[in-house]
Amino acid sequence: MNQLNLHEGKAEHLRDFPYITELVKLKIQNIQLNSFTVKTNEGIRIGLITEGKFDWVIAGQGYTLFPGDTFLIYPWQEIGSPKGVLDIGALCWISLSPELFDPSGLLQFGAWSSIPESEQRVIGKILAMNKNPVLSRFGAGPQILQRIEHEILQQEIGYRTRVNHLLDELLISLVRHLSKAENFRRDFPQIFSKLEQSLRENLAHPWTVEEMAGLVGLGTTAFTEKVKAFTGFSPLHYLINLRIAEAIKLLRQTKMSLTDIAFDTGFYSSQHFSSTFKKLTGYTPRAYRKTQ
Amino acid sequence: MDCILTIDINTSSVRIHAFDLTGEVLGMRKGSYPTFHPQADYSEQDPEQVFITTLYVLKNFINEVIQPQKYKVRALCFCAAMHSVLAVDKNGRPLGNAIIWADNRGIKEAKMLKKSAFRSPIYEATGTPIHPMSPLIKISWMRHQDPERFAQAFKFVSLKEYIVLQLTGEYLIDHSIASSTGLFDIHQLKWNAQALEFAGISPERLSAPVSIFFDEVPLKKEYSKSLGLSSATKVILGSSDGCSATLGSGNIAADRATVTIASSGAVRVASKEILADEKQRFFNYLLAEDYYISGGPTNNVGVVFDWYTQFFGSFNPGQEFEQVRVELLREATQVPAGAKGLLFLPYLLGERAPIWNANARGVYFGLNITHEQKHLLRATIEGILFEMYSIGKLLTDHRSFSSISLTGSYSSIPLFAQILTDIFGLPFNVNTKVDSVALGTALIGLTGMKYYNNLEEASASTHFTETYTPNAQNHELYLRYFEVFERLSGKLEEEFEMIAGLQ
Repeated sequence: MNQLNLHEGKAEHLRDFPYITELVKLKIQNIQLNSFTVKTNEGIRIGLITEGKFDWVIAGQGYTLFPGDTFLIYPWQEIGSPKGVLDIGALCWISLSPELFDPSGLLQFGAWSSIPESEQRVIGKILAMNKNPVLSRFGAGPQILQRIEHEILQQEIGYRTRVNHLLDELLISLVRHLSKAENFRRDFPQIFSKLEQSLRENLAHPWTVEEMAGLVGLGTTAFTEKVKAFTGFSPLHYLINLRIAEAIKLLRQTKMSLTDIAFDTGFYSSQHFSSTFKKLTGYTPRAYRKTQ
Repeated sequence: MDCILTIDINTSSVRIHAFDLTGEVLGMRKGSYPTFHPQADYSEQDPEQVFITTLYVLKNFINEVIQPQKYKVRALCFCAAMHSVLAVDKNGRPLGNAIIWADNRGIKEAKMLKKSAFRSPIYEATGTPIHPMSPLIKISWMRHQDPERFAQAFKFVSLKEYIVLQLTGEYLIDHSIASSTGLFDIHQLKWNAQALEFAGISPERLSAPVSIFFDEVPLKKEYSKSLGLSSATKVILGSSDGCSATLGSGNIAADRATVTIASSGAVRVASKEILADEKQRFFNYLLAEDYYISGGPTNNVGVVFDWYTQFFGSFNPGQEFEQVRVELLREATQVPAGAKGLLFLPYLLGERAPIWNANARGVYFGLNITHEQKHLLRATIEGILFEMYSIGKLLTDHRSFSSISLTGSYSSIPLFAQILTDIFGLPFNVNTKVDSVALGTALIGLTGMKYYNNLEEASASTHFTETYTPNAQNHELYLRYFEVFERLSGKLEEEFEMIAGLQ
């Protein structure tokens, strides 16, 4: 295995790709002291173990990684070895520095990515909700990483575009794998319960069906059909249900203004809130509050 | 055409059916809501979400089915799961979530009551077994463990009462739901003083008990206007789901039983007398004056088969839970009765009837080297159904049955129906065309509206779509297996407690 160690600002090859902070391929034959101490990660690190066995601490938890395992580390997480060293073996990784990525799932890759903003929002949510930094059977990963390396090193015509496309492909493949891995062997009620929890935690977010479907790893058509069969509602009607139920609580139990309640529960205006509320309950929100 | 709408507020969803005045189904809509488990042993639901879901489904159903067909809604008739408790303040505002039947937080309070002198008098008066499921125990838990909420509570209501309160503005509880609270005297039709004393409440902190046919309070005008219903549309309180299911199965007759197999299950009989059991293993719930629904509930039916499917089913990528379940059922059909000498005690969620032991746990018994996964599968299904039989067998000490009806979501699975038939050795009737809970609720409404003279007549109007007959050879074999099953579950009490202590 050839060694490769490209770092932002140091490697000429990365000059055209300031958002790639590292592209590393290592074969470790000698253990070096303090070569891998626990410290906060920079950017999104996506990597692969190819040989050996590594005991690491990621975000405070211990993991043992074996060949074929993919690791996925976020900018706010710590990673390192409890012994401070990289064990004998081989691994590779790429680190990306998005313009914005936080634990709530807000994500903007930057102008290089051709993934539309709405899909980046979904990807951000799925990545942020993933609690497992070590993934097995992410078969697409090694091949894409190898192609990225080839494009960066060979710099053939159109290599910038190809690298950007490959990065998009890597990220999309990764979130699809995450959604499916999470839902593997689970039945829909459990999947739905997880979705419901996400909706409740962020009712004010302007959820789209595409985002909701992405969260549970389904296409929008299959998702809509399943939600309808399981709940009796379309996804958006189910969401309106949740919003009105929460609004009722706020109307009854707080003195919040109607506008604040409307925005807190995800309606885009107090008029929208008022008309939806009246259509369902027969009361305007103001009249409903007065009866309580 | 005139119609009646039934509103069934069950554990996972609200189901609304329209029936014509002869009891034929015209249409159905459902909407689901979640159960939250904030801690082990806790099961709660958001009352506002249950209410809004009910309203939403009702409104859509009326808009999309009732109005286009120009049906005239004569009445709304309610039905709900038993044993939920919600504390509300003096403005009817919920103080937290509703605690539902599956919640076991009151284990200590239940033990306390079982040891007290109140135990037998309360059980005999109320017909509700002493168990954490009972609202009596849940209110007692709140009194001791959540005194602030207990003190703030103006009233303790069930989810059904809360929906009725929202729609009518009145605190009303029907006799059927009241009789499942553990606080209501089913003989005198009033709140029981000893139970109230144990719970630490006065009767004013509960709703006014009324008949299941009660229809004297109209919908609030805002709701009737918004739903497009006439102000003459009656609101009939209706009953609990278990009582409605028995009525809707056509079994208001002393020589018939109803077996319900869904996530949980029950075996029930209906009669004019309660079932007295010195070991206090049966419930005796009131359907209406002089109509008692008696029997035993089990925690471990569909939920156990779902567990098996999830962890032992072969899930190929992209394969759905339902598909895997169908494959497992097909595989289990190929395995001969008895699973080659393997038995399963299905107590994954502890157990209510007949052993009433929250510490009971699952056991595979009789494993040898020749057993394969398919034998575990067959034994799992048979174990679930032996548990149903263990309740049915207790009931046969008091009643003789000529036939049994099967209801619940699992009743449409032929393998489950045939194994049950073989174990019981009696014919089983199934009505796969209509939901027996909804039909029973409609029959209550129609009886209240005088379309039937009484509940027996209403119940006799039901019919079945399929009948299963027992295989005598399998029945003999299953009785031998059941003897081991019964002995085993009776012997393991101490071991269940020991292993539960380690979990």
